[in-house]
Amino acid sequence: MDRTLQWRFIGLDNFLRLFGVSSRDPFVPRIIRNTVIYVAGTLPLTIFGGLFLSILSMRLRRGMGLFFRSIFFIPRAIPPVVWGFLWAWSFEGTRYGLFNGIRSMLGLPVIHWLIKYPMVIVILANGFLGISLSMLVFSSAIASIPTDLTRAAEIDGATRWQTTRYIIIPLLKWPILTMTAWHLMSFVNSYVYIMLITGGGPYYRTEVWSLYAYHTAFNRYRYGYGASLTTILIVVNIVLLLVVLRTFGLRRMIGRGKIEV
Amino acid sequence: MTKKTGAAFPYVLLVLVAAPFITMYVGFFLRAFGEGPQLGIFPERFGLSNFSFLWEPITWGLAETTIWVALANTILFASVSGAVVTVVCMLAGYAVSRIEFKGKNTFLVLQLFLHAVPGQILLIAIFFLLYYLHLLHKIPGIALARASLEIPLGVWMTKGFFDAIPWDVERAAMIDGCTRLQVWYKIFLPLVKPGVAAVFIWGFLFAWHDFIYVYTLLPGTAKLMSTLIQSLLATEVIDYGYLAAMSLLYMLPPLTLFVLLQRALLKVPIFGGKGI
Repeated sequence: MDRTLQWRFIGLDNFLRLFGVSSRDPFVPRIIRNTVIYVAGTLPLTIFGGLFLSILSMRLRRGMGLFFRSIFFIPRAIPPVVWGFLWAWSFEGTRYGLFNGIRSMLGLPVIHWLIKYPMVIVILANGFLGISLSMLVFSSAIASIPTDLTRAAEIDGATRWQTTRYIIIPLLKWPILTMTAWHLMSFVNSYVYIMLITGGGPYYRTEVWSLYAYHTAFNRYRYGYGASLTTILIVVNIVLLLVVLRTFGLRRMIGRGKIEV
Repeated sequence: MTKKTGAAFPYVLLVLVAAPFITMYVGFFLRAFGEGPQLGIFPERFGLSNFSFLWEPITWGLAETTIWVALANTILFASVSGAVVTVVCMLAGYAVSRIEFKGKNTFLVLQLFLHAVPGQILLIAIFFLLYYLHLLHKIPGIALARASLEIPLGVWMTKGFFDAIPWDVERAAMIDGCTRLQVWYKIFLPLVKPGVAAVFIWGFLFAWHDFIYVYTLLPGTAKLMSTLIQSLLATEVIDYGYLAAMSLLYMLPPLTLFVLLQRALLKVPIFGGKGI
């Protein structure tokens, strides 16, 4: 289906094209590579960053910890457009961008962030969005650990690091698993922030699978091919979801009266 | 390591990680209230000229609109979406909490599945659905589509509210001659009033923040706040101060709502929404 919006049956042509059987789509290998890099970058950042920040901030006094946690929660509280704008502006390639402005004040040359390191910027922007949620979940999980356990460890002579490593992290196993599954699915499908910050550019360097599907459908008006790309994505999603449900136990999820994120 | 440096250690690390973000937020704020070119964090002088969109029309390319039109559109969009979410979820949540019917568990699992698949990848399908229903390019139609994405989690949420109400209340009302709907309307809704408010605000906020649906399904001149900011960002000459000021205005209503209704919202998992 194309911009005429007239439906025409073409069998499996779109999928053949996708898998390179007939009239290969030259962008597919690159898109797959980008998607893998993107997910491999954002997921560890979200989980380990969230763990790191929550463990550190839970050690501080209540007020200070709350302050740092709210700073890292801001990305989720503001609209996507504003978050995208903030990043696009901060890493703008001229002197009028925030970080380049600071650099030029210090007498350093400007860096074209979005052209030189587009993937890094995109991963950071999305990763910190993920951190805002994972940090919140981990902190509340840490807060619910009975103090007896950490006290006992302290009396036995454990250092701070040992308490963290052998008491806190094992107790966080369940939230860590949930957050990993949740963010794996959300990062495989996410493209809104990439679209706002780099638009997939420069020249397809940050174009991930879902963004490519969107562009194919709504920028090149090839709805049929875009839908095929999305279908693959949905199949991937369903497989991921089944894996997640198998590991977490479907029955337990239904059994609960309330959903707790 | 002495005890003192050991205590300072987390602070140092956290400040190091937070510093770029604090710079970004502070820079953004100062930019909105600054005038003239800004290098680094501090603008040349402070003033309100960035807020000129409040009394002047906004232009981008050849198109023109005013902030009030965009605000009115956004309020309409978010309210319709919030209202649809509230009505559907309240009815559905009552049904799955109180009535035994065939396929109830399947239904609940299906809702979880629907929630787990992010809504933004369903855009192409939604586009055609709205096209065949002749709802494309109309704000209520898109609000309907937006609302449908929040309903799966909303049903679970409202089910939780209704589960907390004892059965005796309902039984007493039914013995007195209430029908199911009357029970729902006369007994249950007043009991879960904070829940109703929470669900509405939750639907409202997600629609207010939404970008990708509005951007894709509502092209042209009927601008909402999010697409207005995006289209100003996509022009050749970007006035960052102007945009920062407009973003502040855009963020103001949700923040106010959030602060005012914090107590009711605490019962709701605010961060599980679609399109985020």
